[in-house]
Amino acid sequence: MVKLGQLSRIPLEVLQTLGRYGLDFFERLGRGHVFMIYVLMGFKDVLQRWQLVVIQIFSVGVLSFVIIVISGLFVGMVLGLQGYNTLVDFGAEESLGVLVALSLVRELGPVVAALLFAGRAGSALTAEIGLMKTTEQLSAMEMMAVDPLHRIVAPRFLAGTISMPLLAAMFSAVGVLGGYFVGVGLLGVDDGAFWSQMQDTVDLRDDIFNGIIKSFVFGIAVTWIAVFEGYDTVPTSEGISRATTRTVVNSSLAVLGLDFILTALMFNK
Amino acid sequence: MQNNQEIQSKDILVKIRGMSFKRGTRVIFENVNLDIQRGKITAIMGPSGCGKTTLLRLIGGQLRPQAGTVTVDGLQVNHLSRKALFKLRKRMGMLFQTGALLTDLNVFDNVAYPLREHTDLPDSMIHDLVIMKLQAVGLRGARHLMPSELSGGMARRVALARAIALDPMMIMYDEPFTGQDPISMGVLIRLIKSMNEALGITSIVVSHDVAESASIADFIYVLSAGHIVGRGTPQEMQQSDSKWVRQFMEALPDGPVPFHYPAADYDEELLSGNGHG
Ligand SMILES: Nc1ncnc2c1ncn2[C@@H]1O[C@H](COP(=O)(O)OP(=O)(O)OP(=O)(O)O)[C@@H](O)[C@H]1O
Ligand SMILES: [Mg+2]
Repeated sequence: MVKLGQLSRIPLEVLQTLGRYGLDFFERLGRGHVFMIYVLMGFKDVLQRWQLVVIQIFSVGVLSFVIIVISGLFVGMVLGLQGYNTLVDFGAEESLGVLVALSLVRELGPVVAALLFAGRAGSALTAEIGLMKTTEQLSAMEMMAVDPLHRIVAPRFLAGTISMPLLAAMFSAVGVLGGYFVGVGLLGVDDGAFWSQMQDTVDLRDDIFNGIIKSFVFGIAVTWIAVFEGYDTVPTSEGISRATTRTVVNSSLAVLGLDFILTALMFNK
Repeated sequence: MQNNQEIQSKDILVKIRGMSFKRGTRVIFENVNLDIQRGKITAIMGPSGCGKTTLLRLIGGQLRPQAGTVTVDGLQVNHLSRKALFKLRKRMGMLFQTGALLTDLNVFDNVAYPLREHTDLPDSMIHDLVIMKLQAVGLRGARHLMPSELSGGMARRVALARAIALDPMMIMYDEPFTGQDPISMGVLIRLIKSMNEALGITSIVVSHDVAESASIADFIYVLSAGHIVGRGTPQEMQQSDSKWVRQFMEALPDGPVPFHYPAADYDEELLSGNGHG
């Protein structure tokens, strides 16, 4: 039962809500950047304590390793099946290796690995840092004159950024093996053609190098979002669960958006 | 008392002047003046939620007041750079109300943490120091346990050992006696007292336990509703005729100290019959 007088107020309220969301968004964005500046200032510290980074690479990387390998294998096998079905109509099934490798190295490797990384390692990072905040561990470190941005956040950020390209490379490599297994092993594509065409066509700079740049950028984006959401958590159990969800949603969107931009920049000839 | 304070003015370690602090629109402190004397034990008492923990965080520079100054050892905490603040904090210890142990380190490593961060001592010396601190709080045997395997009272004692690890000039204890049995309570009281006497460590003890605080404190502040409603030595407090202080020292339910968080009138809220506040 909306009265006439209220009707005219609705657009205003909508505007207000929109405005508030907009302001919130930009406020968080700004805080996220200031936060990152402080984290980067801690890198000097981190270099002296590189063991912290190694420990984090181990935990971040190992967390995601199994899921990356299994997903890579399946994605490669699906590429093998789909690619074969299309190529065989044109009698070009010997190019299967090229198709599988290019799809993986240019797109699927970096993107899918980053999405999996966000769901597995990103959410874990957010929850870990959020819980440390909720239980006042970060406060306690500050009072002990230890900057948690340098000691907790910076090593994790660095570890995520280093791990991501490695995981993406692993994803692509396992994916190519999956495509080989289906194409050559099951569907009878010629072994030599599969590899030699791949070797001839896939370009080190244009394909592999650009793929690595992509996964590097995704690694920065996902880990940044994850550590920031953790550090910015409202210190309650509900706050942690919200922050974890936000990490997965926001970093997945960021990966897909960045992928479009990077692809447009890299491959427009 | 005025006279007394002037004589000691250079012995004041923490000096708070005209300090006001708000959380959103809620006023926690309004125009508070407070001194903590060097080398003495000062107790801060007051009802739950009156801002005792907040006061410690203001002194430690984790929160900044909206007005007024907080000075620690001649340095204005609320205007220090992050670097200078951290340098000052190396000389402060704080025992958190919840313990706040680092959950991925065991008891030994928690106590060793500040030593490893801020000193270049060899491992053997860190080991000895940590064992000494743990012995002081009666938990030497618990050094291999993880924080999740400790009871609340034990966790707080480990946190105390960590707070004193660097032998700071000042220690802030946020409710050190909560959750302690009478024996460990007695040990803690003696520990705080002896660190104060032997090492001259300035101590700020936040506590609800009137008797315990009065037994060790040299000076007591009573906080309520954003103001200091009583100050004096334990003897002065016992004899105080301030209604606020009387109520608190004798634990009377009725008096000027509000037991309730600020709220609308109780009868009115019940009678008006709408549940949503
Ligand atoms: N993070 C926060 N955000 C908003 N308000 C807060 C926050 N922390 C504390 N407060 C408010 O500040 C007031 C003082 O809190 P504080 O923790 O200092 O109380 P306290 O005196 O230590 O109480 P207790 O004896 O129960 O520990 C409380 O009324 C609380 O509602
Ligand atoms: Mg408190």
